[in-house]
Amino acid sequence: MVENQEFKIIGFFCNWCSYAGADLAGNLRLAYPADLRIARIPCTGRMDPLFALKALLDGADGVMVSG
Amino acid sequence: MSSVGVFICHCGTNIAGKVDVAKVSDDAINIPGVVYSSHQKYSCSEAGQKVIIDAIKENRIDKVVIGSCSPKMHENTFRKTIEQAGLNPYMLEIANLREHVSWVTADKDSATRKAFDLVKAAVGKVSFAKPLTPGQVTVEKRALVIGGGIAGIQAALDIANMGYEVVMVEKEPSIGGRMAQLDKTFPTLDCSACILSPRMVDVAQHPNIRLLTYSEVENVNGYVGNFNVTIRKKAKFVDESICTGCLECVTKCPLKKKIPNEFENGKAPRGAIYVPFAQAVPKVPVIDKEHCQWLLSPDPDTIEVAEGEKKPKRKCGVCAKKCELGAIDFDMQDELINEKFGAIVIATGFNLFDHKKYGEYGAGEIPDVITGLDFERMVNSSGPTEGKIVRPSNGEKPKKVAFIQCVGSRDEAKGIPYCSRICCMYTAKQAILVREKLPDAEVYVFYMDIRAGGKGYEEFVLRAQREYGANYVRGRVSRIYEQDGHLVLKAADTILGMPLEMEADMVILATGSIAREDSVALANTIGITTDAYGFISEVHPKLKPVEVPREGVFACGAALSPRDIPDTVATAGAVAAKVGVLFSNDILMSDPMVANVDPMVCVACGACVEVCPYSAITMEEFRGKKFAKVNEAMCQGCGTCSAACRPGAAQLRGQTDEQILKSIEAVLQW
Repeated sequence: MVENQEFKIIGFFCNWCSYAGADLAGNLRLAYPADLRIARIPCTGRMDPLFALKALLDGADGVMVSG
Repeated sequence: MSSVGVFICHCGTNIAGKVDVAKVSDDAINIPGVVYSSHQKYSCSEAGQKVIIDAIKENRIDKVVIGSCSPKMHENTFRKTIEQAGLNPYMLEIANLREHVSWVTADKDSATRKAFDLVKAAVGKVSFAKPLTPGQVTVEKRALVIGGGIAGIQAALDIANMGYEVVMVEKEPSIGGRMAQLDKTFPTLDCSACILSPRMVDVAQHPNIRLLTYSEVENVNGYVGNFNVTIRKKAKFVDESICTGCLECVTKCPLKKKIPNEFENGKAPRGAIYVPFAQAVPKVPVIDKEHCQWLLSPDPDTIEVAEGEKKPKRKCGVCAKKCELGAIDFDMQDELINEKFGAIVIATGFNLFDHKKYGEYGAGEIPDVITGLDFERMVNSSGPTEGKIVRPSNGEKPKKVAFIQCVGSRDEAKGIPYCSRICCMYTAKQAILVREKLPDAEVYVFYMDIRAGGKGYEEFVLRAQREYGANYVRGRVSRIYEQDGHLVLKAADTILGMPLEMEADMVILATGSIAREDSVALANTIGITTDAYGFISEVHPKLKPVEVPREGVFACGAALSPRDIPDTVATAGAVAAKVGVLFSNDILMSDPMVANVDPMVCVACGACVEVCPYSAITMEEFRGKKFAKVNEAMCQGCGTCSAACRPGAAQLRGQTDEQILKSIEAVLQW
């Protein structure tokens, strides 16, 4: 891992748990690296493998699915 | 090509303090499709909303991105805003610049870059947004109340008094529940039956309430406003329409002293045909098919005998012979009833911890160690001892009575870390009752802490101590054993810091509340969840305390968590109000962000039908072509079908493949 380099990690977060959890992290002002871009999906059931492939093909450094 | 307007909110300094909002706004104008971009102090304020409305009209914006707080905060606010400007409310996407950026990022440049990426994603997603219109469903204005204890009774009466029809389903032969088993209630020492019985009768006589006792809910289908429920009405073997409740049959049953009566906590007998207690509603006996000799003996029609031999007759049948009206019907079968309801109320109550798990207290083997509920029945004038407080071992009056609190409460070793909230109070009440009935008896209460939070509760405990002379000892009893016709208690007095040994004639264990053994099964039937202990989970413990995650279903009383009668009645009233709010609608708007299958693209593989967690998709056929069809009222918008669909026929509105793929591309490529 290169130091001070910013990554682009695409997150697919379930609206009801992880997305709300990320909101809670905000409410609690818990700082974390800015490399994550969270997309809100209605449920991890919505997570089509195509989304992860599309993100990686378009140049994402990583994909995070949480739900 | 769409014309997207971007509005970046400062949120005072909440966002603007970390994100260079002017830069994000300036750069946003270069995002493909964006025709307008600005930033403002508070977008959600009236002035801020007016800026948005005016900008939409002046710049012919047809899709809107707002970079602000979490969509969970103000998505609905801004949907209404753009609707006022003449746009479809779903032509909106929120970029979460506060909770997901400014509040969690240390570095300003990183925050600004991240914010811009999220704005790009939102523009990408909204550019494929389509106008959506909520569906409409009618509301069946009838409520199902499951459970006939004080929670269900209160909820049913309140709903019925609003003018709506109610069906109450009770598993036992009579309504009344736990409260009917109690003698007095704290802290007023009201006679429990005296305040409950009139309400039980109200339920039975209310023109809007239909009572189904000895019945259970077997299946629940459908959705808010339109539930289809199957109820199993177990065979009572007594025709309710004929029986007058004379109970001649009950008094003549040869087994009348043989079977432990559940209502008396097993401490008094009943027959195979019985009413659980004198004030039972309805006052119609049932025949327990597990014990009835007639029902257990083989049917003569099925027995083959040699010619000339007599067929054996059924045993007993005394009740049928004694019933002059002919209400006994041994051929009665369980009945399955299908009914439609708009709302469901869960009021199934609680059980008490089984003290057999406490080996140190004799594991239920010592006759003079009884539970609080045993004592309630004992001290009740219609109970097994007709109200006399006596030692079960020899029938003598106890001279020294010890109470032990927190048996199956606040005991992690027994898997119950929570406080049952009622035991401190019912112990104080029972201590008072012992001192009232046996003024010469000494009373000791072993406690961990006294939790007397409630109106008049602390004063009540003080009364037990000061006025009635109950001796409170802080400390846990570690062992109880029998010696020379007495009980010996080994304990620690944690205030004096000394071990303690005490003789007593009778010990009453304050057993805690636990979930009913069938609560998880009921939750599964209804499609909702329970907590780790089996209590029904509410949507939000503070703001939605009687709502459960399935819309149109509510819960009240001790089915949710341990609670006393006042809290139970309060939540039952709350549930009735919620049902009233629901029933005040003739038509409900359903969320339009649900799945849809394009029949022209569908190949009828059935993958979506299989994965749908809500059974909302079925296979249909039209002119020989098979395709999947979504019941939009049942769809909860999870999108699992969309992910499973190979040709892309199933699409979740507002979260289509092209919308999500475009937002990914926007972050990484634009």
